[in-house]
Amino acid sequence: MSEAILEVNEVTKTFGGLVAVNAVTMHIEKRRIFAVIGPNGAGKTTFFNLVTGIYKPDRGSIVFDGVDITGRDPAVIAGMGMARTFQNIRLFGSMSALENVMVARHVHTRTSYADALLHTPRYHREERKARDRAMELLAYMQLDHRAQELAKNLPYGEQRRLEIARALALEPKLLLLDEPAAGMNPQETEDLQRRIVGIRDDLGITIVLIEHDMKLVMSISERIAVLDYGKKILEGTPEEVQNDPRVIEAYLGPGAAEGVQ
Amino acid sequence: MKKLFQNSAFLSLLIAASAVIFGYWLLENPRSTLAFLLTLGALLAAFMLDIPKWLKVLVGGAILLLVIPWAGFKNSFLFELGVQTGIYAAMALGLNVVVGLAGLLDLGYAAFFAVGAYTWAIFGSKQANQFMPWHIFPLPGAYFYLFMLVAVVMAALTGVIIGSPALRLRGDYLAIVTLGLGEMVRVLANNLDHPINITNGPQGITPIQRPPIDWFIALFDKFGIHMSRAEAYPLFFYFLVLVIIGIVTLVNIRLDRSRFGRAWIAIREDEVAARAMGIPLLPTKLLAFATGASFSGAMGALFAAKQLYVSPESFTLIQSIMILVMVILGGMGSIPGAILGAATVTILNVDLLKTASDYLNDLRNAGFVLDLGIFKYNFANLPNQLEPAKYERMVFGLIMILMMIYRPEGIIPERRHVAEMKEKE
Repeated sequence: MSEAILEVNEVTKTFGGLVAVNAVTMHIEKRRIFAVIGPNGAGKTTFFNLVTGIYKPDRGSIVFDGVDITGRDPAVIAGMGMARTFQNIRLFGSMSALENVMVARHVHTRTSYADALLHTPRYHREERKARDRAMELLAYMQLDHRAQELAKNLPYGEQRRLEIARALALEPKLLLLDEPAAGMNPQETEDLQRRIVGIRDDLGITIVLIEHDMKLVMSISERIAVLDYGKKILEGTPEEVQNDPRVIEAYLGPGAAEGVQ
Repeated sequence: MKKLFQNSAFLSLLIAASAVIFGYWLLENPRSTLAFLLTLGALLAAFMLDIPKWLKVLVGGAILLLVIPWAGFKNSFLFELGVQTGIYAAMALGLNVVVGLAGLLDLGYAAFFAVGAYTWAIFGSKQANQFMPWHIFPLPGAYFYLFMLVAVVMAALTGVIIGSPALRLRGDYLAIVTLGLGEMVRVLANNLDHPINITNGPQGITPIQRPPIDWFIALFDKFGIHMSRAEAYPLFFYFLVLVIIGIVTLVNIRLDRSRFGRAWIAIREDEVAARAMGIPLLPTKLLAFATGASFSGAMGALFAAKQLYVSPESFTLIQSIMILVMVILGGMGSIPGAILGAATVTILNVDLLKTASDYLNDLRNAGFVLDLGIFKYNFANLPNQLEPAKYERMVFGLIMILMMIYRPEGIIPERRHVAEMKEKE
């Protein structure tokens, strides 16, 4: 077994009386494609928000790349190399595609306030570096021809790709994708599938994705965790998950498993 | 016809001609409000329309550096107008960083103006002797420039002090808290005359030292222009304000195009996404707040020197709101918008409404009778209460409502720099 990049231990988060995430433990190994599935409201996005620091867990701990990040600020966690996309696309609408990606270069840009005011050589150098890297990533996502377009004017599929390009600009070790295929047609989904595998293979980034498109999930993930009512009911390979009656029950209700078989 | 107006050569000619005609008219009639407005219109057109850059610079330079100062000699009110516009424009640019770029609604912005003004007022007058030893105050006028920097630092510090608690809040809550904290600065200025007299309370501080301008007068002497000290100060402040506006605009543009500007806009657009992209929320917001505050502080020091007098009354909530109106009117996040907004509001406030009042008064006193056949009205019957100058707030309110309905993005909307790539080549 190779080393874990993310260790989530017994993490719980409640909102009022609702237990959104209930004592979930997950160990995700380096360079894996790991999927988190479950019915709507199972706590998948809350789980992402806990891992990225947007929510603070009530109990439990989260260790990222050997460092305990429980309760840390999202910006700090992002700076350590954890990037994400959002279920409902959250781009910076009034900025160009290029600028969107450059925003995520913030932590990698060493321009001081004085540099920016005085336009020192360092400012020019760092700015060029940030722009070149951003253009590279846009090209990687086949968006370079859209660099100057405002993010909000891009078509839906390109916005999804731009979000991934922006996340990659953080130079992450771990990339969390929240329903990347939502609203995509079959061709776009297929294209996305190749890209996700590519990101892992080319850049060596571990990927965790939440997804409802089972064809996509089953064909690219190496391990799958199933959440239901905030609890992890199962973790295993796609085959194990596919054939488990608990999963079918979680999606279709109690008793459904027999009917299917 | 439409094609003719898109033709750059024709447009250039038109603008150059109007700049010459209106500029000449203003020189001949320095008191004509219409001539002044038309001249500014030519300036605006030169800036906004698609004409060669050298012509923009030429028209801008000629109007700002020659026509207005020249006309100002005959009518020093133009200098007053120019300096006030400049002070507000710099503040609008500062607030533009806070509200326009970072999206933080700040209703206490005049507080930083107050901090800057008092910084120079206290040490540039005898006031500091009240609580400091050595009795060396007022400091000589040459220290003014140093104290402008001190005012920048003081205002930025105040920004951090006010911002640290306030910026943990968002939207409406932030607006209310900044309003309260801003008022606190004014109340402090009003009450810090005891137990130790620091601000001289409601009486304010006067007289305040001005920067020495003998060199300035001597410089003009060499060109055969002789000025008395009283004539030279308005001109000096006018040029000083132009220089400061230049610096402030440059700072604004440079920040806008750095990682800080991008971080501010990211926070404005989506806080959660910005944090997830590694942008630390509070430090970045504080930086915006302190940057905006420092612009205001610098202008405060200038204001103190220009007015020779500072009192808490100059830093009310209405001031903060007026600057906000300028930013919204011009276009949030837009640098030319902030300057145009400041110019529009100041000119409306200081010049147009008063001119309209005077005009109505003249009609009233002359007993002018408007005769439209079926409708007859004698202006002598016009009620005394009807005086546009008294309705400035109503006029601003109306302008804001109309803007929100018809052009919510402002006169010159923010346009993210498409030129970024071209610049690289």
